This record gives sequence, C-alpha cells and structure tokens, in this order.
Amino acid sequence: MSTVLTAPSSPAVKKTRTPRQRRARQIILQDNAWRCVIIGLILLLWQTGVDHKFIDPFLMGSPAGIGAEAWRMMLSGQLLTDTMATVKATVIGFLGGSILGSLSGLLLWYCKRLARILDPFLIALNGLPKISLAPMIIIWFGSGMFSKVALAFIATFVVATLTAYQGSHQIDQSLVNLMRSLGAKQQQIFTKLVVPATMPWIISAFRLNIGFALIAEIGGEFISSDTGLGHLIFVNGNLFNLNAVWVGVLALMVVAVALYLVVSQVEKHLFSWSRQ
Amino acid sequence: MNAAVRTAAISDTEPYKQEVAISLKHLRKTFEDEDGNLVEVIRDITLDVREKEFISIVGPSGCGKTTMFNIISSLIEPSDGEIILRKWRPKERRGSQIGYMLQRDLLFPWRTILDNVSLGLELSGASKAECHDKAYDYLSRYGLGDFAKAYPSALSGGMRQRAALIRTLITDPDIILLDEPFSALDYQTRLVLEDEIVSILREFGKTVVLITHDIGEAIAMSDRIAVMTQRPTMVKNLYDVGLARQYGSCIKARSDARYQTLFDEIWADLDIQLGAHRS
Repeated sequence: MSTVLTAPSSPAVKKTRTPRQRRARQIILQDNAWRCVIIGLILLLWQTGVDHKFIDPFLMGSPAGIGAEAWRMMLSGQLLTDTMATVKATVIGFLGGSILGSLSGLLLWYCKRLARILDPFLIALNGLPKISLAPMIIIWFGSGMFSKVALAFIATFVVATLTAYQGSHQIDQSLVNLMRSLGAKQQQIFTKLVVPATMPWIISAFRLNIGFALIAEIGGEFISSDTGLGHLIFVNGNLFNLNAVWVGVLALMVVAVALYLVVSQVEKHLFSWSRQ
Repeated sequence: MNAAVRTAAISDTEPYKQEVAISLKHLRKTFEDEDGNLVEVIRDITLDVREKEFISIVGPSGCGKTTMFNIISSLIEPSDGEIILRKWRPKERRGSQIGYMLQRDLLFPWRTILDNVSLGLELSGASKAECHDKAYDYLSRYGLGDFAKAYPSALSGGMRQRAALIRTLITDPDIILLDEPFSALDYQTRLVLEDEIVSILREFGKTVVLITHDIGEAIAMSDRIAVMTQRPTMVKNLYDVGLARQYGSCIKARSDARYQTLFDEIWADLDIQLGAHRS
C-alpha cells in the first residue's frame, strides 16, 4: 500500500539528488571501475605470461583458452545443463533443509526439555563435516539428483535447526513477561514474539547455508554423478583440461553470488524496520 | 507490622476514593538458588493500595520490589500470603486487570508504533481494523499520531516510553504497575514525562503503583509512599504526600517546602538500612 503512495514521488526524488548523494554514487562507480581494472590486469598479465611462455597453459589454463572453452560449452548447451542441474539440486536441498531446519529449531522453543536432551546431538552433528556422509547417501539414494538434494538438505538442516533454536532461546525474558502480562497464550507468544524475534538468526543461517549447500552439492558430484558443475570440474580435471575446469569454477562463483543476492534481497524486505 | 503512618495534613483538591484496590496480606516469597539454598526475598509485605491513588514503592536496590510486582501481576506465585483485588473477576486471569510498564520500553523493533501499541488488543482477539482505530486514536491524543507508521528505532527515549505507556493503557487495566519507567531517560525528559504520565493516568482514573529508587521522583508524583527495608523486604514506613495532586504538577510539587522535609525523612529511612547493611 505504501509503495503506491510513494511511487509518484520517487522519480522526482531521483532528479533532485543532493550533492552528497551524487558524491556517494560517484564513489560507488569509481569502486566498480577499480574492480574492473583489477580483473582486467590479472587477465592481461596471465595472457601475456602464457603468450611469452612464462606460464604453462597446460597446468594453469589461459584466459583466451577459458573464453574459447566457455563459448564452446555454451553453444553445445553443456554449460547450461550442468549449471541448471547443480542449481536445481542445491536450491531444493538448501531451501528444504533451511526452512524445515528453522521450523524444527523454532519448535524446540516449545519443548525446552526435548531441546535440552537433543542439544549435544545437534552440536555433534553440527561439527561433523556433512560431506563425510556422501558415500552412504549415494549408496542409499543413487548417483542421481536425489542424493545431491539429500546431501544439501542434511548440510543445511542442522545449521538452521541449531541457529533457530539458539536464537529463540536468547529472547529477553522481559519480552516474554510483557506478552504474558498482556494476556498472551503460549501459542501467541510463539507466533508474535518468538518467530519474529528469531528471524535475524534464521536469515543469517540461510546466508551461511548457501555455502554449505554448495559444498555438499559439489562434493557429492565429485564422488558420483553424471551431470552438474561438480561433475564438469571433476571430469575435466582428470582430463587435464584446465580451461574447462576454470569455466566450471567461474560458473559456480556466479551461482553462489546469485543465491547470495537472492537471500540479501529477502533480508532487505524482511528487515525494512532496521534501516530506519 | 507497626509501620508508622505519618500524615502531612494536606488538603486534597481532588480527593481520591478510599476504597482499597489491591490488598496485599502477608506476602512472602522465597526462591531456591542454584545450590538449593532458600533465599528469602520478601519476608512480609502487607499493604493496602487505595482505589485511584498513586502510590510509590521506594527501597534500596535489589530489595525485591520487582519480585513484588511480578507477584501482583501473577507472573509468579507468592510462597505465602494473599492478594485481594477489589474488582475480582474469578474467571479472569488476575493479570488482565493489571497493566505493567517497565524501565525498558520493550517495544518490538519489527512492529510499527501503531502495531506495538495495539499488541494487547490484538492478543485479546480484536480485529486488525478495530485495534488500529483505537491505537491510532490513543496515539493522536498523546502526540504520537505522526509516528504511528514509524518503527521504534526512529523515536527518542521519551517518545518510546510514552508509546509503552499507551500500550499498557489501551487494554484498559484498572491498576497500572510502573517499574522504574524513567530511569533510562535523561533528566529533562524525565521531568516532562513524569508530569505527562501523572496527568494521563489521573485522566483515566487509574490506580498506580510506581517502583522507583529516586526519592525525589516518588515525592513529586505520589499520593503516598511506602518505604521498604533491605532484603528480605518488609514495609518500613508509609508517608502521605499528595503534592502532585495539590499543585497539579510534579515540577511545582518539587518546589514545595514539604518536599525537602519528606526527602530527608525518607533518606533517613533508607540510610539506616544502608548502614545496617554494611556492618
């Protein structure tokens, strides 16, 4: 509703930018320019090194080779297929694990006894590198997408549960007392206080979980798979096709950044109150 | 209990009713600490709070005043003794007739001021529109109408406390408990808010119990003051004040000659205990 109210005024705001805002924008543009310069310099040095035989392209790859390889893989559709396979399995496992994990963590608030009993298990599971479960998961669920989803799910579920549970237990008792003094029932305390108060914790678990889900996903693909960026990297690594490995790594980076941006957008939307 | 009742012979310009709103009879509270030892926090509080009066509870810090509040608002149970409310509605939770306001405003940062203020109504199952109408009404009346859509982080400490008071008042409790509501504010804001709160609460005809360790604040605002002993707590002395009611202003109350006399007397009450505590 409020966006309707503010929409007509926003173009006007854009036109009349204050000097300070203009300066801030200029700085951001300059920073971005510097970033491009750094990337360009690295690529230039790399390519020059390869051209003058300082760098062995067989062991390091070369920017030109990577470009050519990327173009070839894009034309054949392999890059898109592999990227989509990885993104799909990661996102399903990540969302499933993070959402269900957060819910379980929140529900543990209801049952303090159960939370206390489960606490050491959660801590132990949290410390365990989930990728060590990959061989078992692959035996159970096969080498297809489902095993990768399961791995990403496990990797993110425990983190989300533990974070949500710890967050919900750090709520100020005075706030709970306030709710009770206003006549809130347990269920109202949960929905109106515990859930919103734990949201910042949950969103930080989501942010961590992007990395964990990708590690589990790529690890699983390394061990056994027939598609995905992990598969692409692993196979080409064995073939000493370093240019193709680079393409896979860069594609993974793009995926990670994209997921991160999505989570930050959600965060911005959820926590508009903290920016005032 | 032989609490000496001193009368300062003040003619009330607007005499309050003498019926008892809450009667505390021999309240006692012991807690068990981590080692299983019993810690006696409240030994014996016997106190009648009169209908529509403003009574302050002054005592050394950590003397169990907040525990007393938690018992009155039924957040915890007393170990012994009873609490009698005049308007006892047996089916209702005792807390529903009692509003509670704390030192920290405890506004939810993720809710707008409007949503924060309507929290109590919302919990009782009122519709969103109904909550917002009433909340907006209250906010406008107390100068926060322009901030209805703002988040608490945008407000000053004094404004946040005012919002917290409105949140307490909106569910229309008969009795308001104020637990050091000013101690986090700067001195000027505090003086202004003291006056404001006294006049708002009087306008609503509420019975008010204020916990404070600020003797001056207690004298400036109250009809009566109960001075408590060091833990385990008992009522040590009761003073009739009524300066704020007489002058209609807490700031003017501070310039009355009796202000200093009362201050010295109450200070003496507390000081004896501080001395006793040290030995």
